[in-house]
Amino acid sequence: MPASVLRWGAGSRRSLSGGGVAFICLLVILIYQVLLPFLLIIWTSLKVDHPGDPGFLQLSFTLANYIRAYGIREFWDASLNTLYFALIATLFSFLGGTFLAWVVARTNTPLGHWVGMITMGRVIIPGVIITISWVLLASPSIGVLNYFIAAVSGVRRFLNIYSFWGMVWVQSLEMVPLAYLLMSAALQSVDPRLEEASAIAGAGAWSTFYRVSLPIILPATAAAALLLFIQTVESFEVPLLLGGRARIPVYTTEVYFNTARTPTDWGLASTYSMVLLALSMGLLFFHFRLVRHSERYQTITGKDYKPRRIDLGRWKYVTCALSLVLVFLVTGLPFLVMLYASLLFRFQPPTLEALREITLVNYRSLLADWSYSLKPLWNSTLLGIGSASVVMLLVAGISYFVQKSRIRGRKILDFLGFAPIALPSVVLGTAFLWFYLLVPLPVIGSLSIIGLAYVTRYMPYALRFVSTSMMQIHSELEEAAAVAGGTWWKNLYRIYLPLLRPGLMAGWFWVMVHAYRELTISLMLARSRNRTAAVIIYDLWSNGSFSQLSAFGIIMFMLLIVLGSVVQKISKRFGIREQVS
Amino acid sequence: MRVRKTFLMQATIALFAVGLLVGWGAPLYTAERSAEQIYKDLAKLSESERAKRLEEGARKEGKLNFVHTWRGKIARDFVVAFEKRYPSIKVEMSDLGSQDAAERFIAEERTGRHLTDMLSLAIPDLAVVLRQNLVARYPTPATKKILKQYRGFIDADNRWTPWYWSEHGISYNTDLVSAAQAPKDWFDLCKPTFKGQVSFDPSETRFLAGLYVMMGEEKTKQWLKCIGENQPIVQTGHTQRLELMLTGDHAVQGDNYLYQGIEAQRKNPKVPYKIVYTAPILAFAGSMVINKNTQNPYAAALLTDWSLSDDGQKLVADVLRGPITIKHPYLPDNIKLVTYNIVSEDVTNRLHEAWSQYIGRMK
Repeated sequence: MPASVLRWGAGSRRSLSGGGVAFICLLVILIYQVLLPFLLIIWTSLKVDHPGDPGFLQLSFTLANYIRAYGIREFWDASLNTLYFALIATLFSFLGGTFLAWVVARTNTPLGHWVGMITMGRVIIPGVIITISWVLLASPSIGVLNYFIAAVSGVRRFLNIYSFWGMVWVQSLEMVPLAYLLMSAALQSVDPRLEEASAIAGAGAWSTFYRVSLPIILPATAAAALLLFIQTVESFEVPLLLGGRARIPVYTTEVYFNTARTPTDWGLASTYSMVLLALSMGLLFFHFRLVRHSERYQTITGKDYKPRRIDLGRWKYVTCALSLVLVFLVTGLPFLVMLYASLLFRFQPPTLEALREITLVNYRSLLADWSYSLKPLWNSTLLGIGSASVVMLLVAGISYFVQKSRIRGRKILDFLGFAPIALPSVVLGTAFLWFYLLVPLPVIGSLSIIGLAYVTRYMPYALRFVSTSMMQIHSELEEAAAVAGGTWWKNLYRIYLPLLRPGLMAGWFWVMVHAYRELTISLMLARSRNRTAAVIIYDLWSNGSFSQLSAFGIIMFMLLIVLGSVVQKISKRFGIREQVS
Repeated sequence: MRVRKTFLMQATIALFAVGLLVGWGAPLYTAERSAEQIYKDLAKLSESERAKRLEEGARKEGKLNFVHTWRGKIARDFVVAFEKRYPSIKVEMSDLGSQDAAERFIAEERTGRHLTDMLSLAIPDLAVVLRQNLVARYPTPATKKILKQYRGFIDADNRWTPWYWSEHGISYNTDLVSAAQAPKDWFDLCKPTFKGQVSFDPSETRFLAGLYVMMGEEKTKQWLKCIGENQPIVQTGHTQRLELMLTGDHAVQGDNYLYQGIEAQRKNPKVPYKIVYTAPILAFAGSMVINKNTQNPYAAALLTDWSLSDDGQKLVADVLRGPITIKHPYLPDNIKLVTYNIVSEDVTNRLHEAWSQYIGRMK
């Protein structure tokens, strides 16, 4: 039995001042950050009055919004499209991400470190730029790849990005880094002795991987599938820019077009988010069922744990080539398009004439304007670092209580931490806007309001990153420390946090970068002084040009690379070192 | 120990509840006199006395919260120019799309938070704000300078002050379409030549309202039907759609702002872009709208007047939008212009339905 259980159960003075206080604090924070906005949304879905209207606070409810939202055939057609789209994109991205994670984290494939770095670099590039990059690469009329295919084979309009498979392709590549992050954190935590035992028993490397390693990382696999699926259901840029033209409606575009009129029908928008809530909760329940015997996945024990890599022999060159192709598709190709476009006054296919027009004017104009482009970058840096750190602290606590304690009500933490995944950004942003308009704390127009919304927005993702890692840590470590007289806080700091480093770092980086890219919430809550980098991206997308947008994307990319490297260096001072054998 | 746990929990909940109640019960900001009363009094004064009073009042207020629906640099340049003229007034500006701006403004006012003093909104997007009765009536002599062809933008009730206009029109890629083949009228977009080659944004009230004023309801529906049969490209994002056309993705912009292509052409004359001047151009105005509950009524009025000043209008022309007191920066004088303000919600709802039926936002 974990030490914390013993102490909590005994009700000692120390347990209340440590784990107990932390549990209550977490619960209060989650109630404030999640439950209140949620209640506001559920309440709104049951009202035809808007927040602020006299009837809004009255205790009379209606299902009118539900009948309107779900009573039309288009909604169910879009839902079916969404299901196909999400299932296929989840499968592809999971396979791609897991392959890269395994290559980087568990094998001696040459250039593995670079493969990992470049894969993560993809997360930094804003989704809208990636999507437009793929339009420029594979549009039937102007796609650069079609241009080359026609030149070589004579076949014109071979690729069509404006199609269901075009959507799946771009969305799958978009999510490979998330799958990579989730799976690499789990793979790094696999106990090598189990694999050694398998090898001693005569199993080959592949057999060991399938029969020993894969079952161990089941929680991570389930978490990855869960997040990838939900993220695809929630995806907006790809369905809007590609699916819109291909006339393939999905859930998010249906919601967008049904609520796009002014004033937005918040009752209807909130009602739509209820579907996502039900879906997310159903999937979470399934996830919990799948990993209910958490002790089976505890691979990090007190016995000399050091992750290490598998020697692939000559196969390492094959895995190297495959992973390089994959990262080129995931990151390299769109990055090159972005770089090329950023050096042009306006985008045109790569010809000699176009190359003669290369200019740095887009960079010069952006870098010369502190208040327009650099201040928002600074704001995003503060928001990214701040919200990522707060989120990771919260989810580390949540994971600890859910996985390592038997405190009554601990599952509520997991539920509250994960529930916001059901909220589309536009609904969450609006809930925060309404909430802080109704409760006049002095946060409107400040970075705090955006940061608070980000914490709620990204907690579910970070929670799954850390939960899977936490599940793999054996409770005997904490028990041993408790026997040696370690306090709750000390154990958390000295034992769990270092062992959780892969998951924490992956989650931190993911949250930070996504906080940089997050658009919808930022747009809803931005005013003159708290504009973020994503607001500028939207601004350049809607009013500037793709070339300027690309230049801004490159500047942001460089900044985040530097930031990520610094954090990586700092984090290496903590945690455990891996060994290559 | 149980007592202590319970106490901690109760204390936390109590603190939280107090925070909420204090928040809810916080006094709302109120001005000493209503903006409309101030404007009524100002209207009784001579023009010079009025201007003097306005500047004095604005100087005392010293600030203004303004939501601009121009975005980025041009919005900031607009504010900088105003602040340069009136250095004692500090403008806090947010730049948002017209619909988002209206949305946020309504949200603020519904909750009694008077955070925005004034907005620049497209008139077709104003209907919803007017319905909420959130706008101060502001009669101003500055509108006297508005040219004859744009006087239709003026509101008899002074609920908004027009200060520039935007256009929806047809344009094409000259690399893909010759001048002879180019569409000459809106119905030409239905020709088989342009099958799958004409792009639109998803249905927009401001565009449909313009079509309605130009052709009437039945003809607009006929036009939507034949456009739908010609397999239009429906893609979100005016700027990106224009860029895609200029890159050769498709041939014609069935509806878009015209200034963007001219802007691109001024920077690079090789840009293959041409406007169809023979087809009527749909024109709606951007207007200054003052919050009925503004905390800075003088500063709001001053910015409204300044937007129609020579400096303000020159700035409009410099960024290729349509000034309304001076000549347009690039459109010839002899174009057919269809000006319009607010079209009734019933009509626009029917046209949105017709769009969905014939063009479909997605099938």
